[in-house]
Amino acid sequence: MSEQHTETGPRVVIVTGGSRGLGAGIVRSYLDSGDLVATCARSRTAEVDGWESEAPDRFLFVPADLSKVEDCEVFVKAVVERWGRVDVLINNAGVARDGILGLFSDEDIDTVVDLNLKGTIYMTRLVGRRMLARRSGSIVNISSIVGRSGYRGLAVYSATKAAMDGMTRAMARELGTRGITVNAIAPGYLRTEMSHGLDEDQLQQIVRRTPAGRLGEPDDIARVCQFLTDPAGSYLTGQVLVVDGGLTG
Amino acid sequence: MTAAAIEKTVVDFLTRTKKLPTDFHVEMNLYADGVGLDSLETAELSALLEDEHGEDPYSSGTMPQTLAEILAFYAAGAQA
Repeated sequence: MSEQHTETGPRVVIVTGGSRGLGAGIVRSYLDSGDLVATCARSRTAEVDGWESEAPDRFLFVPADLSKVEDCEVFVKAVVERWGRVDVLINNAGVARDGILGLFSDEDIDTVVDLNLKGTIYMTRLVGRRMLARRSGSIVNISSIVGRSGYRGLAVYSATKAAMDGMTRAMARELGTRGITVNAIAPGYLRTEMSHGLDEDQLQQIVRRTPAGRLGEPDDIARVCQFLTDPAGSYLTGQVLVVDGGLTG
Repeated sequence: MTAAAIEKTVVDFLTRTKKLPTDFHVEMNLYADGVGLDSLETAELSALLEDEHGEDPYSSGTMPQTLAEILAFYAAGAQA
Protein backbone atom coordinates (compact mmCIF):
# COMPACT_ATOMS: atom_id res chain seq x y z
CA MET A 1 0.00 0.00 0.00
CA SER A 2 1.12 3.54 -0.61
CA GLU A 3 0.07 7.07 0.25
CA GLN A 4 -2.20 7.68 -2.70
CA HIS A 5 -5.22 9.62 -1.53
CA THR A 6 -6.46 12.04 -4.21
CA GLU A 7 -5.08 15.49 -4.82
CA THR A 8 -5.35 16.51 -1.17
CA GLY A 9 -2.83 13.93 0.02
CA PRO A 10 -3.36 11.39 2.76
CA ARG A 11 -5.77 12.33 5.51
CA VAL A 12 -5.16 11.82 9.20
CA VAL A 13 -7.97 9.54 10.34
CA ILE A 14 -8.95 8.50 13.85
CA VAL A 15 -11.15 5.44 14.17
CA THR A 16 -12.10 4.70 17.76
CA GLY A 17 -12.50 1.08 18.75
CA GLY A 18 -10.79 -0.14 15.59
CA SER A 19 -9.15 -3.31 16.85
CA ARG A 20 -11.94 -5.68 15.80
CA GLY A 21 -15.32 -6.00 14.14
CA LEU A 22 -16.80 -3.00 12.40
CA GLY A 23 -14.03 -0.68 13.59
CA ALA A 24 -11.38 -2.94 12.11
CA GLY A 25 -13.21 -2.90 8.79
CA ILE A 26 -13.18 0.89 8.82
CA VAL A 27 -9.48 1.03 9.71
CA ARG A 28 -8.76 -1.39 6.85
CA SER A 29 -10.69 0.80 4.43
CA TYR A 30 -8.77 3.99 5.28
CA LEU A 31 -5.44 2.17 5.15
CA ASP A 32 -6.42 0.91 1.72
CA SER A 33 -7.23 4.46 0.59
CA GLY A 34 -3.71 5.53 1.52
CA ASP A 35 -4.54 7.52 4.63
CA LEU A 36 -2.76 7.83 7.97
CA VAL A 37 -4.86 5.90 10.48
CA ALA A 38 -4.86 5.89 14.26
CA THR A 39 -7.02 3.66 16.37
CA CYS A 40 -7.41 2.72 19.99
CA ALA A 41 -8.90 -0.04 22.06
CA ARG A 42 -8.41 -1.40 25.54
CA SER A 43 -6.31 -4.25 24.21
CA ARG A 44 -4.38 -5.25 21.11
CA THR A 45 -5.57 -7.79 18.58
CA ALA A 46 -3.95 -9.77 15.78
CA GLU A 47 -5.32 -7.19 13.31
CA VAL A 48 -3.53 -4.39 15.15
CA ASP A 49 -0.26 -6.32 15.14
CA GLY A 50 -0.68 -6.98 11.42
CA TRP A 51 -1.28 -3.33 10.55
CA GLU A 52 1.73 -2.22 12.58
CA SER A 53 3.91 -4.57 10.55
CA GLU A 54 2.24 -3.79 7.23
CA ALA A 55 2.10 0.01 7.46
CA PRO A 56 4.34 1.18 10.30
CA ASP A 57 4.50 4.74 8.96
CA ARG A 58 0.76 5.03 8.40
CA PHE A 59 -0.75 3.23 11.36
CA LEU A 60 -0.83 4.08 15.04
CA PHE A 61 -2.37 2.10 17.87
CA VAL A 62 -2.80 3.50 21.35
CA PRO A 63 -4.24 1.37 24.16
CA ALA A 64 -7.07 3.41 25.66
CA ASP A 65 -10.36 3.13 27.50
CA LEU A 66 -12.36 6.00 26.02
CA SER A 67 -14.81 6.02 28.90
CA LYS A 68 -11.97 7.78 30.74
CA VAL A 69 -11.35 11.32 29.59
CA GLU A 70 -7.65 11.04 30.49
CA ASP A 71 -7.25 8.17 28.02
CA CYS A 72 -8.99 10.20 25.32
CA GLU A 73 -6.55 13.05 25.91
CA VAL A 74 -3.53 10.75 25.71
CA PHE A 75 -4.82 9.18 22.50
CA VAL A 76 -5.55 12.45 20.69
CA LYS A 77 -2.27 13.95 21.86
CA ALA A 78 -0.37 10.95 20.49
CA VAL A 79 -2.02 11.36 17.10
CA VAL A 80 -1.35 15.10 16.93
CA GLU A 81 2.26 14.66 18.05
CA ARG A 82 2.80 12.10 15.32
CA TRP A 83 0.94 13.65 12.39
CA GLY A 84 0.18 17.22 13.45
CA ARG A 85 -3.56 17.27 12.84
CA VAL A 86 -6.76 15.25 12.57
CA ASP A 87 -8.83 15.39 9.38
CA VAL A 88 -11.35 12.65 10.06
CA LEU A 89 -12.85 11.29 13.27
CA ILE A 90 -14.91 8.11 13.18
CA ASN A 91 -16.58 7.63 16.56
CA ASN A 92 -17.06 3.88 16.40
CA ALA A 93 -16.14 2.61 19.88
CA GLY A 94 -19.13 1.16 21.62
CA VAL A 95 -20.34 -1.62 23.81
CA ALA A 96 -23.66 -3.41 24.15
CA ARG A 97 -25.12 -5.07 27.22
CA ASP A 98 -28.39 -6.85 26.66
CA GLY A 99 -31.07 -7.49 29.21
CA ILE A 100 -34.43 -6.27 30.38
CA LEU A 101 -33.99 -2.82 31.90
CA GLY A 102 -35.78 -3.82 35.08
CA LEU A 103 -32.99 -6.30 35.77
CA PHE A 104 -30.10 -4.14 34.57
CA SER A 105 -27.30 -3.41 37.03
CA ASP A 106 -25.97 0.07 37.75
CA GLU A 107 -22.59 -1.15 36.57
CA ASP A 108 -23.91 -2.23 33.16
CA ILE A 109 -25.75 1.08 32.70
CA ASP A 110 -22.54 2.98 33.46
CA THR A 111 -20.46 0.77 31.17
CA VAL A 112 -22.70 1.41 28.17
CA VAL A 113 -23.34 5.12 28.79
CA ASP A 114 -19.75 5.93 29.71
CA LEU A 115 -18.24 4.45 26.56
CA ASN A 116 -20.95 4.90 23.94
CA LEU A 117 -22.01 8.38 24.89
CA LYS A 118 -19.50 10.05 27.18
CA GLY A 119 -16.55 8.60 25.28
CA THR A 120 -17.99 9.91 22.02
CA ILE A 121 -18.54 13.34 23.56
CA TYR A 122 -15.00 13.44 24.99
CA MET A 123 -13.47 12.49 21.64
CA THR A 124 -15.62 14.91 19.68
CA ARG A 125 -14.71 17.75 22.02
CA LEU A 126 -10.98 17.03 21.81
CA VAL A 127 -10.82 16.46 18.07
CA GLY A 128 -13.44 19.07 17.19
CA ARG A 129 -11.25 21.71 18.84
CA ARG A 130 -8.34 20.67 16.62
CA MET A 131 -10.57 20.84 13.57
CA LEU A 132 -11.83 24.27 14.61
CA ALA A 133 -8.28 25.56 14.71
CA ARG A 134 -7.81 24.38 11.10
CA ARG A 135 -11.35 25.10 9.94
CA SER A 136 -11.74 21.75 8.27
CA GLY A 137 -12.59 18.17 9.11
CA SER A 138 -15.19 15.44 9.05
CA ILE A 139 -16.77 13.61 11.95
CA VAL A 140 -18.84 10.45 11.59
CA ASN A 141 -20.66 8.90 14.52
CA ILE A 142 -21.47 5.22 14.26
CA SER A 143 -24.99 5.03 15.58
CA SER A 144 -27.45 2.16 15.11
CA ILE A 145 -30.92 1.53 13.75
CA VAL A 146 -31.96 0.52 17.26
CA GLY A 147 -31.55 4.17 18.23
CA ARG A 148 -34.59 4.75 16.02
CA SER A 149 -36.52 1.51 16.10
CA GLY A 150 -35.58 0.23 19.54
CA TYR A 151 -34.95 -3.42 20.32
CA ARG A 152 -36.21 -5.48 23.21
CA GLY A 153 -33.39 -5.90 25.73
CA LEU A 154 -31.28 -3.06 24.35
CA ALA A 155 -32.87 -0.07 26.06
CA VAL A 156 -29.66 1.49 27.36
CA TYR A 157 -27.73 0.81 24.17
CA SER A 158 -30.63 2.23 22.12
CA ALA A 159 -30.72 5.32 24.34
CA THR A 160 -27.04 6.03 23.76
CA LYS A 161 -27.41 5.63 20.01
CA ALA A 162 -30.43 7.94 19.85
CA ALA A 163 -28.42 10.46 21.86
CA MET A 164 -25.58 10.21 19.34
CA ASP A 165 -28.03 11.07 16.56
CA GLY A 166 -29.08 14.19 18.45
CA MET A 167 -25.49 15.13 19.10
CA THR A 168 -24.73 14.67 15.39
CA ARG A 169 -27.36 17.21 14.41
CA ALA A 170 -26.31 19.67 17.11
CA MET A 171 -22.62 19.46 16.26
CA ALA A 172 -23.35 19.88 12.56
CA ARG A 173 -25.04 23.18 13.40
CA GLU A 174 -22.25 24.18 15.77
CA LEU A 175 -19.36 23.47 13.41
CA GLY A 176 -20.93 23.90 9.97
CA THR A 177 -19.81 27.47 9.50
CA ARG A 178 -16.23 26.36 10.05
CA GLY A 179 -16.14 23.84 7.22
CA ILE A 180 -16.52 20.82 9.47
CA THR A 181 -19.11 18.18 8.60
CA VAL A 182 -20.76 15.97 11.20
CA ASN A 183 -22.86 12.99 10.17
CA ALA A 184 -23.88 9.63 11.56
CA ILE A 185 -24.35 6.18 10.15
CA ALA A 186 -27.04 3.96 11.62
CA PRO A 187 -26.06 0.44 10.62
CA GLY A 188 -28.50 -2.40 10.65
CA TYR A 189 -27.54 -5.82 11.91
CA LEU A 190 -23.98 -6.71 11.04
CA ARG A 191 -22.15 -9.98 11.20
CA THR A 192 -19.75 -8.82 13.90
CA GLU A 193 -19.17 -9.41 17.60
CA MET A 194 -21.83 -6.81 18.38
CA SER A 195 -24.53 -9.14 17.04
CA HIS A 196 -23.37 -12.06 19.18
CA GLY A 197 -26.18 -11.36 21.63
CA LEU A 198 -28.57 -12.55 18.94
CA ASP A 199 -29.03 -16.27 18.41
CA GLU A 200 -29.02 -17.89 14.97
CA ASP A 201 -32.83 -17.97 14.74
CA GLN A 202 -33.00 -14.22 15.44
CA LEU A 203 -30.32 -13.53 12.84
CA GLN A 204 -32.12 -15.64 10.22
CA GLN A 205 -35.36 -13.80 10.99
CA ILE A 206 -33.57 -10.48 10.40
CA VAL A 207 -32.16 -11.77 7.11
CA ARG A 208 -35.65 -12.82 5.95
CA ARG A 209 -37.00 -9.36 6.69
CA THR A 210 -34.10 -7.53 5.01
CA PRO A 211 -34.68 -6.59 1.36
CA ALA A 212 -30.96 -7.00 0.66
CA GLY A 213 -31.30 -10.61 1.82
CA ARG A 214 -28.28 -10.70 4.07
CA LEU A 215 -26.70 -9.27 7.19
CA GLY A 216 -24.43 -6.28 6.79
CA GLU A 217 -20.66 -6.53 6.61
CA PRO A 218 -18.11 -4.02 7.95
CA ASP A 219 -17.24 -3.11 4.35
CA ASP A 220 -20.83 -1.93 3.79
CA ILE A 221 -20.38 0.64 6.54
CA ALA A 222 -16.78 1.52 5.71
CA ARG A 223 -17.82 2.53 2.19
CA VAL A 224 -20.35 4.98 3.63
CA CYS A 225 -17.71 6.36 6.00
CA GLN A 226 -15.50 7.05 2.99
CA PHE A 227 -18.39 8.77 1.23
CA LEU A 228 -19.23 10.96 4.23
CA THR A 229 -15.61 11.98 4.75
CA ASP A 230 -14.80 12.75 1.15
CA PRO A 231 -13.42 16.30 1.16
CA ALA A 232 -15.67 17.07 -1.82
CA GLY A 233 -18.77 16.31 0.25
CA SER A 234 -18.81 19.50 2.28
CA TYR A 235 -22.53 20.18 1.68
CA LEU A 236 -23.63 16.96 3.37
CA THR A 237 -23.84 17.44 7.12
CA GLY A 238 -26.17 16.84 10.05
CA GLN A 239 -27.56 13.62 8.59
CA VAL A 240 -28.07 10.15 9.99
CA LEU A 241 -27.73 7.66 7.14
CA VAL A 242 -29.48 4.36 7.74
CA VAL A 243 -27.44 1.54 6.21
CA ASP A 244 -29.43 -1.60 6.91
CA GLY A 245 -30.11 -3.32 3.61
CA GLY A 246 -33.58 -1.80 3.57
CA LEU A 247 -34.71 -3.46 6.81
CA THR A 248 -36.32 -0.36 8.29
CA GLY A 249 -37.04 1.45 5.05
CA MET B 1 7.07 30.71 24.26
CA THR B 2 7.31 34.47 24.25
CA ALA B 3 4.68 37.11 24.88
CA ALA B 4 5.25 38.35 21.34
CA ALA B 5 4.47 34.92 19.90
CA ILE B 6 1.28 34.64 21.92
CA GLU B 7 0.21 38.13 20.92
CA LYS B 8 0.89 37.26 17.29
CA THR B 9 -1.37 34.19 17.56
CA VAL B 10 -4.21 36.33 18.90
CA VAL B 11 -3.74 39.19 16.48
CA ASP B 12 -3.42 36.85 13.49
CA PHE B 13 -6.63 35.13 14.56
CA LEU B 14 -8.50 38.42 14.94
CA THR B 15 -7.21 39.52 11.56
CA ARG B 16 -8.32 36.27 9.92
CA THR B 17 -11.77 36.54 11.45
CA LYS B 18 -11.97 40.21 10.46
CA LYS B 19 -12.41 41.24 14.09
CA LEU B 20 -9.24 43.21 14.69
CA PRO B 21 -10.22 46.73 15.72
CA THR B 22 -7.96 49.49 14.46
CA ASP B 23 -7.46 50.63 18.04
CA PHE B 24 -6.87 47.14 19.47
CA HIS B 25 -4.79 47.05 22.64
CA VAL B 26 -3.97 44.42 25.25
CA GLU B 27 -6.55 45.72 27.73
CA MET B 28 -9.44 45.70 25.25
CA ASN B 29 -12.25 43.29 26.15
CA LEU B 30 -12.28 40.38 23.73
CA TYR B 31 -16.05 39.83 23.83
CA ALA B 32 -19.28 41.80 23.57
CA ASP B 33 -18.06 45.12 24.86
CA GLY B 34 -14.87 45.16 22.84
CA VAL B 35 -13.60 42.95 20.03
CA GLY B 36 -16.90 41.05 19.82
CA LEU B 37 -15.78 37.42 19.75
CA ASP B 38 -18.73 35.03 19.98
CA SER B 39 -18.61 31.65 21.74
CA LEU B 40 -17.55 29.68 18.65
CA GLU B 41 -14.80 32.15 17.83
CA THR B 42 -13.65 31.91 21.43
CA ALA B 43 -13.47 28.14 21.08
CA GLU B 44 -11.41 28.60 17.91
CA LEU B 45 -9.04 30.93 19.70
CA SER B 46 -8.74 28.48 22.57
CA ALA B 47 -7.87 25.65 20.16
CA LEU B 48 -5.38 27.80 18.27
CA LEU B 49 -3.60 28.82 21.46
CA GLU B 50 -3.38 25.18 22.53
CA ASP B 51 -2.17 24.12 19.08
CA GLU B 52 0.55 26.73 18.92
CA HIS B 53 1.58 27.04 22.56
CA GLY B 54 0.79 23.64 24.07
CA GLU B 55 -1.85 24.85 26.52
CA ASP B 56 -4.48 27.53 26.71
CA PRO B 57 -6.18 29.47 29.49
CA TYR B 58 -9.73 28.53 28.48
CA SER B 59 -9.07 24.79 28.84
CA SER B 60 -7.56 25.43 32.25
CA GLY B 61 -10.87 26.68 33.56
CA THR B 62 -10.29 30.41 33.31
CA MET B 63 -12.03 32.88 31.03
CA PRO B 64 -9.59 35.64 30.19
CA GLN B 65 -11.31 38.87 29.27
CA THR B 66 -8.38 40.56 27.53
CA LEU B 67 -5.15 39.79 25.72
CA ALA B 68 -3.36 41.03 28.83
CA GLU B 69 -5.04 38.26 30.86
CA ILE B 70 -4.06 35.68 28.24
CA LEU B 71 -0.45 36.86 28.41
CA ALA B 72 -0.62 36.75 32.23
CA PHE B 73 -1.77 33.10 32.09
CA TYR B 74 1.29 32.08 30.09
CA ALA B 75 3.61 34.24 32.16
CA ALA B 76 2.34 32.55 35.33
CA GLY B 77 2.88 29.13 33.72
CA ALA B 78 6.42 30.06 32.76
CA GLN B 79 7.20 31.07 36.34
CA ALA B 80 5.68 27.93 37.88
